[in-house]
Amino acid sequence: MPKLIIDDIPVEVAPGTSVLEAARSVGITIPHFCYHPALAIAAACRLCAVKLLDGPVKGIQMSCALPAQDGMVVSTTDPEALKMRALVIEWLMLNHPHDCPVCDEGGECLLQDFTIAGGHSRRRYQGKKRTFQNQYLGEGIHHEMNRCIECYRCVRFYRDYAGGTDFGVMGSAGRVYFGRFQEGPLESPFSGNLVDICPTGVFTDKTGRFRARYWDYQFAPSICQHCSVGCNTSPQNFQRETIKIVGRRNDQVNGWFICDRARFDKSYLNDPQRPREPRLDGATCGYDVAVDAAAKSIAEFVRKNGADKLALVGSTRLSLEGMILLAQLAEVAGGAKVCYFDDAGQQQGSLAAAKLLHEENAAYVKDIEQAQWISLHALDLMEEGPMLALAVRKAFLAGAQIFLVAGDMLPAMKVLPFKYTAVETLDQVPFEGGGKGVIICGAGSKDPDLLAEMASSGAKLVMLQPGPNGFAAALLAQQHAAVPLAELVAARQVQGVVCFEADVPEMLLSDLEVLANADWRRGAVEAKAPIFLPTTTWAESDGTAINYEGRAQRFERSRVAGLPLKGLDPKYYGSATEAVSLHPPRVHRKDVPGGAERDAWQVMAQLIERLGGEALEPFSGKWRALRNLDPEGEGVRIFEMGLGE
Amino acid sequence: MDLPLFRHNRPNRVVTFDEYREEGGFEGLKKAFSGMSPNDVQQAVLDSGLRGRGGAGFATGRKWSFVPRDLPGPRWLICNCDEMEPGTYKDRVLLEHNPYSLIEGMTLACYALGVRHAFIFIRKGYEKAAANLARGIEEAKKAGLLGEHILGSEHSIELDLHLSAGRYICGEETALINALEGKRPNPRSKPPFPAVKGLWQGPTVVNNVETLANVPAIVANGAAWFKGLALNPEGAGSKLFCVSGSVKNRACIELPIGTTLGDIIDGACGGMRDGKKFKACIPGGASTQFLKPEHWNLPMDYDTVVKAGSRLGSGGIIVFDEGHCLVEATLNLINFFARESCGWCTPCREGLPYVKEILTRIENGRGEEDDITILREHVKYLNYTFCALAPGAMAPLDGLLRDFEDEVREHIVKKKCPLK
Amino acid sequence: MIPETLKTSLQARVASAITAREAAVDVMKELQAHYGWLTDEAVQEAAALLGLSPLQVEELATFYEMIYRRPVGKKVIHVCDSISCWCADCDKIIQYLKDKLGVGLGGTTADGMFTLVPCCCMGMCGDSPAMSVGGVPYGRLTPELVDEILEAERHKP
Ligand SMILES: Cc1cc2nc3c(=O)[nH]c(=O)nc-3n(C[C@H](O)[C@H](O)[C@H](O)COP(=O)(O)O)c2cc1C
Ligand code: SF4
Ligand code: SF4
Ligand code: SF4
Ligand code: FES
Ligand code: FES
Repeated sequence: MPKLIIDDIPVEVAPGTSVLEAARSVGITIPHFCYHPALAIAAACRLCAVKLLDGPVKGIQMSCALPAQDGMVVSTTDPEALKMRALVIEWLMLNHPHDCPVCDEGGECLLQDFTIAGGHSRRRYQGKKRTFQNQYLGEGIHHEMNRCIECYRCVRFYRDYAGGTDFGVMGSAGRVYFGRFQEGPLESPFSGNLVDICPTGVFTDKTGRFRARYWDYQFAPSICQHCSVGCNTSPQNFQRETIKIVGRRNDQVNGWFICDRARFDKSYLNDPQRPREPRLDGATCGYDVAVDAAAKSIAEFVRKNGADKLALVGSTRLSLEGMILLAQLAEVAGGAKVCYFDDAGQQQGSLAAAKLLHEENAAYVKDIEQAQWISLHALDLMEEGPMLALAVRKAFLAGAQIFLVAGDMLPAMKVLPFKYTAVETLDQVPFEGGGKGVIICGAGSKDPDLLAEMASSGAKLVMLQPGPNGFAAALLAQQHAAVPLAELVAARQVQGVVCFEADVPEMLLSDLEVLANADWRRGAVEAKAPIFLPTTTWAESDGTAINYEGRAQRFERSRVAGLPLKGLDPKYYGSATEAVSLHPPRVHRKDVPGGAERDAWQVMAQLIERLGGEALEPFSGKWRALRNLDPEGEGVRIFEMGLGE
Repeated sequence: MDLPLFRHNRPNRVVTFDEYREEGGFEGLKKAFSGMSPNDVQQAVLDSGLRGRGGAGFATGRKWSFVPRDLPGPRWLICNCDEMEPGTYKDRVLLEHNPYSLIEGMTLACYALGVRHAFIFIRKGYEKAAANLARGIEEAKKAGLLGEHILGSEHSIELDLHLSAGRYICGEETALINALEGKRPNPRSKPPFPAVKGLWQGPTVVNNVETLANVPAIVANGAAWFKGLALNPEGAGSKLFCVSGSVKNRACIELPIGTTLGDIIDGACGGMRDGKKFKACIPGGASTQFLKPEHWNLPMDYDTVVKAGSRLGSGGIIVFDEGHCLVEATLNLINFFARESCGWCTPCREGLPYVKEILTRIENGRGEEDDITILREHVKYLNYTFCALAPGAMAPLDGLLRDFEDEVREHIVKKKCPLK
Repeated sequence: MIPETLKTSLQARVASAITAREAAVDVMKELQAHYGWLTDEAVQEAAALLGLSPLQVEELATFYEMIYRRPVGKKVIHVCDSISCWCADCDKIIQYLKDKLGVGLGGTTADGMFTLVPCCCMGMCGDSPAMSVGGVPYGRLTPELVDEILEAERHKP
């Protein structure tokens, strides 16, 4: 453990730690551009200069590329180091445009920060600025090469980290250019990370340019709800609109990055067509009116048909809180059935996976990255868990062998960022070497025997769940011996349903009475339900999700519910008593336009109360341990808390 | 004089394989393969005091000794024939007259280092040298001096040419390795040094053409003989000096290490051109500081030249006379370096064009007093770059400000170039 | 499209390399010799031969001084402007070339015969000022010699 002194502070760090990281560990940020913890060291920008006053190395050194050694005495404030850093800024500003106010990066720009911090305010250089042509890179990312400071982060991410081959660096000397061979959409499904990783405004999120500055945003720690990997994100909202979504670091899940689906697939959040008003028999009504009606309808149905003819249907996109309360509600309703899946196959696979996995065999992402062999089983990784492809790539780069048991899926698969050997069946994968191997498969619709066979291999397991919160659904389904809706329908065991964020196919609904529906999405259920209760999405609610490896993660409300201010229908400028005045909107309203949505689990709690029960805090009883989950932490694997069974 | 490199040269043509052998060529190889161990060969090179002729002057035997012997997997030898340092043309002259010394020297180096596959990295424009080498390699193979089972031994050594497409940075050894691998020729960080992790991550030695071409004579005649060739006791061997600029006969000549600057210019080069006065010279290719008239009797040897404030470098001597404006000369050099920067690190990529802009203004009479301060900042802080290109670029500028500040100032004060 | 013979020989070159990438510069140079410059099509062909993406070839192509990614004349004149040639008054030779060819640096003559570009030291410093025409080096240039060389090169294949 090297011991060194940085700015008079003694520091002890693990061998191999750079001086820059050592300084960071005691709260000293050494300015840097090219350094990024997730990427290989480039030592290209030369901004992180420090001076070594004593010890095995002396003089000006680049702290990002210098391993901390015993006896080093480092000064980050030595005049020579300051001068070097000031010059680096001056050099970078020779050609950089002086127009932060019209740059979308302004306010969240590393160059802007360090230019100000370094005190660069006078232009000594009398030459012209060089300029470049920009490229069209698709609908996700805007390109502005004049803002480039040649830190090579983008190529080190896109090419080295993510395995993309259509973006790179061209030219030499003062004409290096970061882009594509020819204009066109970036091919990598991880391309959006260029926005986060570029320290300046070269790559900005085209879907949200010039809408707001960093300080305008409302954001909160969140969890991506597109698949069961559960990547950590931070939605950036402005005036009730989710403008951008950026990656949030969690080394146990997604590292620093997210896939493009997580980042760009967000228009549904802001969709003005989202159903936002509670409805009763087709007419808009107050939320409480709708809840009352739903409670009444449930009570009547139970009285008429018996509670066992009623199913409360949830789904894998419901939050854990909602799933827990769904069972409470069923009980209060006199013993109604609960469904967490509609499809039998999905439930079977999902449950089998949840049962098979435990602390020892459920792969951590590090297990994937450090595996000696990895076998992918009939799954489209880029669909079912894109970020894991990058973990597999890390293993691949470190020399792991990758197999793909594809069956007839192969042609449909998207390009994977690693090389693999395609094999026909599971038997052709060499299982021996167990502990250092990882099997990755999708759990939904899988034969439990096949899953069990995989589990018996001794390899670490990744069983991707159908849906973002599939693992939790499986746990609850198991706990409450829930039967999939499709089976109940087939056996004619139910006559009525109340759906909570459940995408039940129309076919299943044909012989059912839909009493009420709570959702933020439109669909077959919504069309059939006489009572509609709009719910919030993950962006507007607090909640908990359990990812494929059993990791419970808390997400927080990142903005209030309601229609985005931008494009707001003028009808909201008026009120019940006053006419619409187009400008200025003089009517003051207490309620947020379209802001009636409630979290699904709160709707359930209200129904419980209306039905005469007492809504328990979702995280009580065996779930108590999850009550204080830190949204900014790494999450907790439920096995560790004995929640696995 | 019996100097190792040019003694095989024929005027205006390349020496033939037979001629080379008749004059003692491949004797070193035979000697090594009949009784010397690889270690003996390396020791001989170490004892000879041979220093790298590519510019840095690092002791060749020591460099070889850094190669770990116990690692599995192949190791590599690369001959650096990128020779794009302005003022340097010695490797071309050597190879256009005699490719065999290099081929023999590389075979010996491979033998000493346990290398089975070596490359010669040749710059664009040196097609003639490449053709000579290609032919020479075939001849040596046919004669059993290269290829499978050299001289009937169990040693097999392969020699391949890599023809580049023109960039000075490719001469930097780690950039060269990237270039050879077919990657963008940006330098790599050191450590790890190539001797430990180089070509395809294997241990790799990179040596200059002239360095390797000296090895046969060292092995054949012994380390002591080689050492004794130098005129000064600290030096060893001979050196190819390639002279250009204001001398009567611009020529590439082989002279003992330690020959004085004056003897080179007045001797082999026949003195200054048109009776002009010697003003300064750059002694070792573009990335070295100026030497001045007071250095006329300076023995041209690595350490001595360093003591005089410059470097022997590649041995490319560029001579300036009193009619030359050294601001403009430096501007020309900086222009070269700015153009050839690989674009990896900020100070070089941005700093060199900055210096160029300032020198251009000074030369055109638009210089300002502040400019000298800014230039000095660059001289100091361009040392902290990723590779040695930018520090090399600063050497002549450093020299200019150190030795010819008055000339620079005159430009600024008179608002014009005093020599125009 | 490149002729089958060239394709086969390039495939052989790539196959003989330790890793395919190693042959990239050779392949680019051969394709350039065929097309006159490295056309977009050539970049794509090189990529296919080397098992790289066009971008990966472009990364290399745009680095090297002697790979042309823009159309050039039948012969490219590289005239050295580095220090030894500067000492030998290369500025005058460059000006002479510009005047004679009626083009600026980087320009191609109206008849498509020559493209004039400055270049870094050619290793001909002992024979400065120097230039190369279509890859053939010439030294100790004088305006008269330049006239002769251009006349001869114009008629050489
Ligand atoms: C920018 C730069 C260019 C270089 N160019 C050459 C070159 O053209 N030829 C050469 O032999 N060494 C060149 N070198 C030095 C090499 O990096 C390396 O030190 C040398 O090839 C080692 O050989 P030696 O020990 O035999 O001198 C260059 C170094 C730098 C920093
Ligand atoms: S990239 Fe940063 S420094 Fe540059 S203009 Fe934009 S905000 Fe300003
Ligand atoms: S585009 Fe951005 S990330 Fe890439 S080199 Fe330029 S500044 Fe760095
Ligand atoms: S100093 Fe930096 S930019 Fe210049 S050649 Fe070396 S690595 Fe490239
Ligand atoms: S952060 Fe260290 S050189 Fe860029
Ligand atoms: S400087 Fe022109 S050939 Fe060397």
